[in-house]
Amino acid sequence: MKPFNYLTPATVEEAVSLFGQHSETAKYIAGGTDVIVKLKDGWMEPDYLISLKKIEELSELRKNENTGDLTIGATVTHATLEKSIMIQKEYPIIYDAVSNIGSLQVRNVGTIGGNLMNAVPSADGAVPMIALDGVALIQGPGGERSVEVKDLFIEPYKTVLKPGEILKKITIPAPAPRTGSAYIKFGRRAAMELPLIGIGVLLSLDADLETCARARIVLGVAGPTPMRAYEAEKLLTGKKITEDLLRQAGEKAADESKVRDSVRGSAWHRKEMIRVQVRRMGLKCLEMIKRN
Amino acid sequence: MSEYNVVGKRIPKIDAAQKAMGRAEYIQDVKLPGMLYGKILYSKHAHARITRMDLSKALALSGVYTILTGEDVPEKMRMGFYKDNPPLKKDKVFSFRDEVAAVAAKTPEIAKKALELIEIDYEVLPGIFDPEKAMEKDSPLVHENTKSNVLKLPWKLHYGDVDKAEKEAAFVVEGRFTTTWVTHCCMGTSGAVASFDAADNLTIYTNTQIPSLAQKDFLEALKAMGLKNKRARVIKPIIGGGFGSKLDTYAYEHIAILLAHKCRKPVKIVFDRPEEFIATSTRQPTVTHIKQGCDKNGKLLFRDIRMVLDNGAHTSWGATTPSVMMMPITSLYRVDNVRYDAKCVYTNNTYSQAMRGYGNPQATFAIESNIDMLAEKAGIDPIEFRRINRNHPGDVTPQNFKITTCGLDLCLDAVEKELRKSGTKEKGVGIGVASLIHVGGGARIYKSDGCGVIIKMDDYGKASVFTGGTDMGQGLDNITAQIVAEELGLLVEDVHVVHTDTDVCPWDVGAHASRSTFVAGNAALGAAKKIKAQLLELGSKELKTTPDSLMLKDRLIFVPGDPEKSMAIDKLLRKIHFSPGGTMLVSDHFFDPINENMGPDYKGNMSMTYTFGVHGVKVRVDEETGKVEVLEYVAAHDVGQAINPLLLEGQVYGGVVMGLGYALSEEVMHVNGKNMNPNFRDYKLFTAKDAVKIIAPVIQTPDKDGPFGAKGIGEPGCVPTAPAIANAIYDAVGVRITTLPITPEKVLAALMEKKKNH
Ligand SMILES: Cc1cc2nc3c(=O)[nH]c(=O)nc-3n(C[C@H](O)[C@H](O)[C@H](O)COP(=O)(O)OP(=O)(O)OC[C@H]3O[C@@H](n4cnc5c(N)ncnc54)[C@H](O)[C@@H]3O)c2cc1C
Repeated sequence: MKPFNYLTPATVEEAVSLFGQHSETAKYIAGGTDVIVKLKDGWMEPDYLISLKKIEELSELRKNENTGDLTIGATVTHATLEKSIMIQKEYPIIYDAVSNIGSLQVRNVGTIGGNLMNAVPSADGAVPMIALDGVALIQGPGGERSVEVKDLFIEPYKTVLKPGEILKKITIPAPAPRTGSAYIKFGRRAAMELPLIGIGVLLSLDADLETCARARIVLGVAGPTPMRAYEAEKLLTGKKITEDLLRQAGEKAADESKVRDSVRGSAWHRKEMIRVQVRRMGLKCLEMIKRN
Repeated sequence: MSEYNVVGKRIPKIDAAQKAMGRAEYIQDVKLPGMLYGKILYSKHAHARITRMDLSKALALSGVYTILTGEDVPEKMRMGFYKDNPPLKKDKVFSFRDEVAAVAAKTPEIAKKALELIEIDYEVLPGIFDPEKAMEKDSPLVHENTKSNVLKLPWKLHYGDVDKAEKEAAFVVEGRFTTTWVTHCCMGTSGAVASFDAADNLTIYTNTQIPSLAQKDFLEALKAMGLKNKRARVIKPIIGGGFGSKLDTYAYEHIAILLAHKCRKPVKIVFDRPEEFIATSTRQPTVTHIKQGCDKNGKLLFRDIRMVLDNGAHTSWGATTPSVMMMPITSLYRVDNVRYDAKCVYTNNTYSQAMRGYGNPQATFAIESNIDMLAEKAGIDPIEFRRINRNHPGDVTPQNFKITTCGLDLCLDAVEKELRKSGTKEKGVGIGVASLIHVGGGARIYKSDGCGVIIKMDDYGKASVFTGGTDMGQGLDNITAQIVAEELGLLVEDVHVVHTDTDVCPWDVGAHASRSTFVAGNAALGAAKKIKAQLLELGSKELKTTPDSLMLKDRLIFVPGDPEKSMAIDKLLRKIHFSPGGTMLVSDHFFDPINENMGPDYKGNMSMTYTFGVHGVKVRVDEETGKVEVLEYVAAHDVGQAINPLLLEGQVYGGVVMGLGYALSEEVMHVNGKNMNPNFRDYKLFTAKDAVKIIAPVIQTPDKDGPFGAKGIGEPGCVPTAPAIANAIYDAVGVRITTLPITPEKVLAALMEKKKNH
């Protein structure tokens, strides 16, 4: 591993300015669970690592009691999310996704921001953020801007962030009443496993507890970036949800997906898993709504 | 087992605290003055001719001491079973794993950089990667000097008359079963440090399971280098797992020797994790055709097996795994008519080697899956079917194995009892069992199956035990200490076991074949008995009594029931030492079990005793995803006598988890000879979270030949796991998976296929 300088700015502005000074040879680092692996493998050889861990405002996890908006700072760790009772209760899809990332050790240091910014199709954390209509707040040399999480990703390892820009936080609008959400990572192992396919479903029902007011079906490893299955969502929205309709949504989502054959798993099996798991996660959502 | 004081006790591993505290010294920690770092360059192609090599840029790099290529390897420095594999290849490469150059440099980073600067041009040749295709007439040849890719190794036996038995059989079933590459995944990666003294004697630190055989290999290497009549001293640091991966000497050791000699400085080569995945040997992939038949009462009449093994590009000891596969093939259950024909076939894949079970898991996967098929066809419950055909004490199997103790029936009972406890049959839930036989009393593979032990008593009542046996994490140090402590009336902490150095420790054939407790244990017991005899003799004079009235216990020598006639052992030792004409107690013992090499017909009682076991599992299969969940696991083994139940269970738990990985998730993925998953992200080793609760009934059938009645248990834990799982899946959802690993994808494909046909 090539030696590097490790910088620990205290504010976002300072970080952005440090980046500006060393732009070509600098890299942001949060938990480092992706960065360090790449350094060791020689995939990247920065002279400066700019740590975001000392920037207090980035580690905020807070629910605004007035608006119901949830703010998740970029350096909030998976373990923090996993252990939050509020997350467990109100955002089960986040809990489902982050509580199965890597191992305890990885979750203790890995951050949600790093997970999104690493921008792999298998990022477990991306699926719930998209399903919950999360909005990313970004700050860089040119000031602040907001991007919906679903629009963050361009291709593997590439986001819309420009050099020097920092993801500050994700804001999640207050969930509608009668909402259920669930995520499943399908893989061979129970831990230290990247998903073969990741499936997240969020459903909000009308007051009749039957009609679908909002549907989100989000897939990981189903294409070059985490993706929404819009057609499948459309199939559900405004209709009375039944198991059969969820089955159809699963079919649709599988058709929409751009799954591929790889040494890790074949496309037909991934498709099959989308079919099955969209239905199962959908049913889980309905159960949750009924329970509450 | 109240008759023993130390044997049979759950004594934690002696080195546990040291390891947990990070104080254990592994090969990674070895550092010698002036030491250089070596790195190996591997082939970029599965099969190619080397047309040009340019080392100039690499040699010009500051900090590089030397670079070796195939040209620098002495003609007679060869590795493997055929001794045909040079540590660095010249002119031609036969697999991606082939070593083509090696650097010694001041730091590992410089060495790595130098590798990148070595220029090599290749002329790519067609490769062959499927052993069955490699057997076809027009297949490209891996080695041009051979006529066929099929090795001339006649693994062929036929006892009784299989064809006649087949005609007489009421039920016959057939199957094709395949297994793939899996690897040991030792926590400690491979490595060696080679160093020469001024007189060209070699000291090599290496984590080997075979110090004495390695010493012989290294002496041959020195001879090949023109260094005759030199000494080779092998020092083992603490080994971070072996599982068979260190049962031979390897290119990195030979290369370290060559580099050290050339540079006149110690050279260290340590693998990183990707290298460990790519450049160490795997378990052999097999294709097995099996046919078995029974009479109408379920009595097994014959077993007929044809097998193809992927030999990879070079012939290692892996090519001899069929000799161990013969054991379950001829001797698991009573079966009079057996035929076996195995072919090892060259391909441009990596070559395989020893791995826990040495072929037994592959053979048992086919046999025990197929036994369930036969039981079903005969309309007999699979556990009952096994009971009908089980081995019995006193049996002599067709291969002339003499079964002494055999608790197979008790194992079946124990597993059945556990599995049937929660009997309710849910949809998608099923149970499966599979049995095993393995050598439990050494295994005569080389001319000697022996082990030597020296015991030296000091003035303070402590024993130093110098054993040939190797502790590589499995706990032989504990077993040795417990045996010696038991025999000498000492406590375990009074016994210090040294197993690290061929200059100090006697010869041993190696830590393989589940033999260490039995063979090294017997050697330790033999040496302890000699010390004991001296203690009793000399003690009887001190205490004015006869030797046979004396006992050794709790650090005392005494006449039971006579408090007057008692003395501390350490005091006795000092008395003996510090008297005129004094003496110090030292003993040695070489134990070579009374077992037989196989004859030309492969008959011979390979082991002094055999270990049996039965595994039972309950699984739930998700019929929509193909995912298999292990709900319960029972692994009963007939172990003779547990010297240390804690360690024994550890061996069983570890074996089962390794077996579960083999059954359900692990595979080294090769695409055209290239390893696609040289990391723990994609090599699906079971994690702690995947591990299931394992119930491990210990069936004790004290064996008259074992130390305190013990038999070997190192390997059995991973032998019948895969077929037990496959059988349970069949019971659960009616599909038989015949290729390992049994991934969700395969299960779902089979379920869909089944649905289509209904
Ligand atoms: C053993 C292991 C297991 C893993 N298992 C999983 C798994 O199951 N599921 C999964 O999804 N991932 C997994 N990962 C990947 C990784 O842990 C996660 O992606 C993690 O969330 C990354 O967060 P981090 O803080 O460690 O990121 P870092 O490594 O610090 O950074 C990742 C990338 O994001 C950039 N970055 C980080 N923060 C910001 C920011 N605020 N603004 C702009 N850029 C930023 C960095 O420059 C870098 O390019 C695993 C990793 C390991 C090593």
